[in-house]
Amino acid sequence: MGSPCELVCETPKRANALELTERVAAEAWRIEDKFSRYLAGNIVARINASAGATTEVDDETADLLDFAVTLYDLSEHRFDITSGVLRRVWRFDGSDRLPGAGDVAALLPLVGWHRVSWQRPLLQLPAGMEIDLGGIGKEYAVDRCANIVREARGGPCLVNFGGDLVATEAPSRRRRWKVAIEGESDAQPERIIDLKQGALATSGDARRFLLKDGVRYSHILNPSTGWPVPDAPRSITIVADTCVEAGMISTLAMLKGREAERFLEAQGVVGWCRR
Amino acid sequence: MSAKNHRSISLILAGASCTLLGAGAPTKAVAEEASAWDFNTSLLYYGEDGDRVKDFSVSAIAKRMFVDDRYLTLGLTVDGLTGATPSGAIRQDVPQTFTRPSGNAAYTVPAGVLPLDDTFKDTRVAINGSWQQPLGESGLINLGASASREYDYMHLGVNARYARDFNRRNTTVSAGIALSMDSLDPVGGAPIPLTPMLDVGDTSNRLGDQDKDVFDVVFGVTQVLSRNLVVQANYSYSMSDGYLTDPYKVLSLVDGTTGDTLLRTPTPGVEGPSHQFLFESRPDERTKHSIYGQAKYFMNGKVLDASYRYMTDDWEIDSHTVDLRYRIPFGEQRYVEPHLRFYTQTEAEFYRLSLPDTEPLPAFASADYRLGNFDAITVGLKYGWRTRSDDEWSIRLEAYRQTGTVPSSQVIGNQASRDNYPDLNAIIVQVGYRF
Repeated sequence: MGSPCELVCETPKRANALELTERVAAEAWRIEDKFSRYLAGNIVARINASAGATTEVDDETADLLDFAVTLYDLSEHRFDITSGVLRRVWRFDGSDRLPGAGDVAALLPLVGWHRVSWQRPLLQLPAGMEIDLGGIGKEYAVDRCANIVREARGGPCLVNFGGDLVATEAPSRRRRWKVAIEGESDAQPERIIDLKQGALATSGDARRFLLKDGVRYSHILNPSTGWPVPDAPRSITIVADTCVEAGMISTLAMLKGREAERFLEAQGVVGWCRR
Repeated sequence: MSAKNHRSISLILAGASCTLLGAGAPTKAVAEEASAWDFNTSLLYYGEDGDRVKDFSVSAIAKRMFVDDRYLTLGLTVDGLTGATPSGAIRQDVPQTFTRPSGNAAYTVPAGVLPLDDTFKDTRVAINGSWQQPLGESGLINLGASASREYDYMHLGVNARYARDFNRRNTTVSAGIALSMDSLDPVGGAPIPLTPMLDVGDTSNRLGDQDKDVFDVVFGVTQVLSRNLVVQANYSYSMSDGYLTDPYKVLSLVDGTTGDTLLRTPTPGVEGPSHQFLFESRPDERTKHSIYGQAKYFMNGKVLDASYRYMTDDWEIDSHTVDLRYRIPFGEQRYVEPHLRFYTQTEAEFYRLSLPDTEPLPAFASADYRLGNFDAITVGLKYGWRTRSDDEWSIRLEAYRQTGTVPSSQVIGNQASRDNYPDLNAIIVQVGYRF
């Protein structure tokens, strides 16, 4: 998942906590192994190496692709799982090294879900294009793990994968989880949220950005231009029933750039935006 | 798609998430940003029996949390004091007349009754503020200021405390200092020590404003000994300098054989004291040392909090305090906490029940019962509960009983048949609300 993953649970016995942690870890590793674009031999690697051939995918992958299509539609084509190739020229390392306009433009023909043929369960990706489920995978894993806890009647648990998290129930004594949202520095949380139950996800560029001539370039890329969405908030934290919803709403809001707050307001969701 | 209603996006997303996750309806999310302010308010009633002191106090403490473990704390307390307090004069078998501290009127105490000064009415307003923040990797600094104002007294103070953790935060060492600059403007002026109480209207032995400075230093160590036990030890040093006398307290000047207070005749046509009373006198310096030890023991949700304090000063008052609290939770939201406190002190070197006319006047003398030899016990019970919205209520009921003795060498003649150190009983009721 590219970040620390933890399970905080309240169980009567140490053994219960260990067992629950093992089951949650197993599910997290399963999802990582299956969908990480950094690993060879998994379904994503097979699709990306298909060189224009059609790939038949399993149900779970098909569900994730369907979900990605819904987001593609809802975001006016800004949420696009084929935009990962842009990372070949964009490295958000806090420096001022912007890519050349020509380099970005050269990649654009490889970006765009409209170029893909998706007839569940058959996916045909033009040669040179890639998909990346990283924008959904972590939130999906958190929800799946939270469901495992619920099915095991694991009591109050907090599944936290790098700040995207689900609380299954309020902790019995303290009656809320105190969640500190990481700010720009290690020491200072941006805010502290009392979470009784439900999901919390944060999108942000606390450390992933470029800064040149006083302009901050966020890591949220617009797939139609290949350039960062201008005026995106620095961080958006959303509360929702599931982590997938929370994460996607914060991502969609980020993609709205300067309209992010207006979008969130219209959604009627509980969230916080920092500029 | 561009015309898509915003609100429907979240609905579509919720549906799509459900399909993706394949489980039943997810738990409804409940979250809010943690409140940055924390308020702790209380109402306190302290009532001594009979006509003695009653204090009604309202206080509020607001704590604002900032990022990076920084806190601002602001406090306000308003006290309303009424009732009477022993003036220091002893009982007599005849009525006694006193000039009020203001010097403007007189009052008479019936025969056999302990003379109380009933002009003790005051409203006190106190404010304080402090700022706390980490300093360095494992340090914490706290800077504060306080001020209070009442009719005849003003206090200004500043304090600073530094604490540092060692040993993976299992040991905390701290040092603090406090400075207090107080000024007194007693009703009617501060009397010159050991001068007589004069007739109404005679202010010839009154002085103007007086000052008092107090300097305190505290060193402490807190140690986590195990998962269940935390202990703390403190040493504190306190030096007071300035006008430490109580301007409203007197001593009876008595016959060295009978022990009865010497009579006095006011100037004809003027009200004035019927007997001879001298205003008390205390040294203008006081140095206190105290050591304090506390242990908190956690056992299955219950907490035993035991502490002991030893204090000694150069007025020769030595005191011992043992304080025990035992917090017993029941259910998730409630607890009871019995409280027991024992206190004992020796009298000040210059404590005198009265001043016999056969002996030369000492440099310092006070008949203030608070400087006498006494024991006190407090028995109390606190009950607390947490509401659904996570606010906390508590109610505390305590009874206080003080019993003192006057050294037999100070009891002269007829004084032996009187109650020279009457018992003091008080009740304390406190209601607290935290939100």
